[in-house]
Amino acid sequence: MDEATGWLLDVYADTEGGIVLWLLADDDKRLRLRMDFDVMFYAAGDFALLRQAWMYLKEKNVKLERATRRDLFLGKRDVLAITTSNPTELPKIFADLSRRFPSLDYYDADIPLSLRFIAQTDTHLLGRCRVELDGERVWSIEPLDSPWEIDPAPIPLRILTLSPDENPVVRKPRNLRVGNKEKEYSLSLEPTRAFLISLKSDLKRFDPDLILTDYGDTWLFPQLKIWSQESGLDLNPNRDEDKQVLTRRADSYFAYGQLIYRGAQAHLFGRWHIDRRNAMSFGEYGLEGAMEQARVTGLGVQEMARKSPGAGITAMQMLTALRSGVMIPVQKQQVEGRKTLADLIRADHGGLIYQPIIGVHGNVAQIDFSSMYPAIMVKHNISPETVGKENAPEGLVPKTLRPLLEKRLALKNILSDLHPRDCRIEILKARAAALKWLLVVCFGYLGYKNARFGKIESHEAVTAMSRELMLQAKEIAEDMGYVVLHMYIDCLFVQQEGFHRSLDFAPLMNAIEEKTGIPIALEGVFKWVAFPASKRDARVPVPNQYFGAFQACTEPCRSDGTIKYRGIELRRRDTTMWVRKIQLAALEILAQADTPEELAGYIPDVFALVERARRDLKAGRVPLEELIVRQKLSRVLDGYKSPSPAARAAMQLKAMGREIAPGQSVAFLFTRGGSEVHAWELGEALNPGRLDTKRYFKLLDRAIQTVLDPHRRSCVSERLL
Amino acid sequence: MGRTVITITQQLNETESMLSRFRRTLRRSDQYIFDGLFAAARRHIAAIGQAESLLPFESALLAMLLEQAKEIAVLQQELDELKKKRTC
Amino acid sequence: MNILPVLKTGRLIALFTPHAGREESMALIAELALRGAVTVLDGGNRFMPYRVAQLLRRNTVDLASVSKRVFLRRAFTCYEMNSLLADTPAFPQPYIVLDLLHTFYDDHVPIGESNRLLISCLGQIHRLGLSAPVVVTLAPPLAEERAFLIEQVCAGADQLFTPGADVPRSSQLSLF
Repeated sequence: MDEATGWLLDVYADTEGGIVLWLLADDDKRLRLRMDFDVMFYAAGDFALLRQAWMYLKEKNVKLERATRRDLFLGKRDVLAITTSNPTELPKIFADLSRRFPSLDYYDADIPLSLRFIAQTDTHLLGRCRVELDGERVWSIEPLDSPWEIDPAPIPLRILTLSPDENPVVRKPRNLRVGNKEKEYSLSLEPTRAFLISLKSDLKRFDPDLILTDYGDTWLFPQLKIWSQESGLDLNPNRDEDKQVLTRRADSYFAYGQLIYRGAQAHLFGRWHIDRRNAMSFGEYGLEGAMEQARVTGLGVQEMARKSPGAGITAMQMLTALRSGVMIPVQKQQVEGRKTLADLIRADHGGLIYQPIIGVHGNVAQIDFSSMYPAIMVKHNISPETVGKENAPEGLVPKTLRPLLEKRLALKNILSDLHPRDCRIEILKARAAALKWLLVVCFGYLGYKNARFGKIESHEAVTAMSRELMLQAKEIAEDMGYVVLHMYIDCLFVQQEGFHRSLDFAPLMNAIEEKTGIPIALEGVFKWVAFPASKRDARVPVPNQYFGAFQACTEPCRSDGTIKYRGIELRRRDTTMWVRKIQLAALEILAQADTPEELAGYIPDVFALVERARRDLKAGRVPLEELIVRQKLSRVLDGYKSPSPAARAAMQLKAMGREIAPGQSVAFLFTRGGSEVHAWELGEALNPGRLDTKRYFKLLDRAIQTVLDPHRRSCVSERLL
Repeated sequence: MGRTVITITQQLNETESMLSRFRRTLRRSDQYIFDGLFAAARRHIAAIGQAESLLPFESALLAMLLEQAKEIAVLQQELDELKKKRTC
Repeated sequence: MNILPVLKTGRLIALFTPHAGREESMALIAELALRGAVTVLDGGNRFMPYRVAQLLRRNTVDLASVSKRVFLRRAFTCYEMNSLLADTPAFPQPYIVLDLLHTFYDDHVPIGESNRLLISCLGQIHRLGLSAPVVVTLAPPLAEERAFLIEQVCAGADQLFTPGADVPRSSQLSLF
């Protein structure tokens, strides 16, 4: 019997039964291992029906038994347990059974295989483990670390990057840039045969664990398949050569109140593929973040890089359920209890939004509750099965979140102790951000219609508690002599005459933390912060829209003399780069002011900046790329009565044979005449003379008005308030 | 934001549009004052929401009154200061 | 259109409009609440609590007590709608099911499954109808392939209202 130790890279079903494991062994070898692995699912419901299901399944290659298992809400249930030793067969057996017996309740039938494996072995993806082997067959596996390790042993990945020299949507690429740790070089895409031979030998020689591409999902891998079919030269980018690339089609779906487009996907076996251009949250926290999410959620890196954090939090809840012996229903069965009209109005509310006091304010502290909603769920034991119950044992959701919250807090504490130039900061930040995203979405999933363990009452209980805590914080602040300028869901802005150092606010922070029991953090102390008025009516405040300059920090805190802004043009994705740059430059000028009173002195500099920018645009000195406007297509093209600019641009592309799906964003320029837009991806060059400069001036003026108005108005508004 | 119950902001917008014929008939100068009443209510959206009233416009009216009383208090204070200056 | 006079135990009334009879059903709920308890089962997030409160206030000063007679439960998937109907007890109080089919139009749910669940729901509606009047509101499907669901509900209804279907449009200002 042999033994090996290393990092667990990948787990998937073996077509011949059992599972395949890939181990990145300590001797730098990549081991393909096989292991016997039974998977089980359950059916429950009417006994007569269950008996029929039993009769039906008897003929199949499965093991059947009668068992008692726990449903989170209903308690113990008698179930028919169906076991197969071939995980690839399970989806087929389940689909077949549920078609014949649709009214039975099914459990554990659609759990990702990696989760079953992790729950059973206590190992985790990317984690270290020890295996006992007989050839390629695993006899036993044990974990050597935990996903909650704060400083996990870094996994020595071999990374290969592949990116075309052009965006394939716009222009046909001619070369593919290939890069690894040592060098970067270009491969000509033509002649195809020579290209395939080179790429194949590179893959073999370098044997990457991760292929990081641009347009790999939507272009490279589909194209490789076509090229290898045409040329008859077989190129399989998988490390597991028995497998083909797993492709998933593009789709548009509704999530978080908006239409989201997800491009096609190409997943590999034995190694990972991540397309940087098609990875939902990759820009936010990169590879380190995706790996951190894979560690704690149990979903593979390829999945986590592409999926929303919601899928990750669902996976974590499944893991908790599997480990606690709770069955996971295929369909959520909990429905809302009865409410009266008054109950509904009381319960169906979001977080507390306390309108800001319009104008510019000096020496303002911003205090945030850290991960407020998850912290409430953990502290007050809010879970679908515990909501409204006193002294219930820790619920499934708090049990899932507790280690996540603790890990994120620990990472943040390490971060705040590190020197700003420490090389570990970037990685730690990415990991903390990745965990933050999981925490952020977990609240929504309490009430989400497709969540396995959701119940709308638990969602409502969390927001109700958050409003109460914010009011407590406000009352404490006011008792201590502060003015509360603005509150938004989990953060508050406070000010007190004579208080300007971080330390001045410490007693308030301690008092709030003691009373609410939820950790808080000082985001920073603003030298000045501005809350703009609504553009429609200068007397109406706008929540969560502000900008300001933090003081240079002398004590440990998160800010360091930087600018912070929310809700203004700079933060919006549909703002052109040109406008963003100038608005940011304007803020940088204003940030030189140390008090609200000094701001007036910098306004002429802002005007000069704007004048220069206007002249540059008129003279054609602004690169067209910076003038691109990106807007999402909100529906199918036929659905528009009067097409939006985005729709008009999409129509131009359609005329060229390129379809844009709803939820996908369209890039275009504003032009004079015709349809008044020019789709960027048309590929043909636009004569800069056709630019609608007036329209761009208007966009710029609006953005500049946002940053200047509060200063101009501050004297008036203060009197009114 | 709830799922079924609209936000107080939406509710105020709806009330405002229900009163659009009323507003339209006012003189332009009065329209500005009328809009100011709603602006005053919008400064207290959190409080109107927290009142959990079946008829939020009742709380909105209270918010308008509150802003008016505040305005009077500010004016009163300024008046007192002016008076003090004059007697000195 | 006035549904109130035709409400009767054992009768299923269907109301079909582009917005699932949103306005009409709120007025109906308020009218019924003035007379006694009413249960609303909302399948399409159509319930407008503030509107109902306003309508009630026009007819009573005792809004606080009357509003306690309006009971609501919401369903966000067709599975939930099925469970909701199944565990709603049959009291002798009217039931209003708002936008019954909304969740059945979700194209993530296979058509066969929608159909199966709807048949089960209609069975439950029939059960409730034995002890109280039931009104179901309906909106058109997003895709033609699910239009048969509407027909299925209408076939089981004793009376179908489709208000505003053929109102001629006039460019003149309306005085009333």
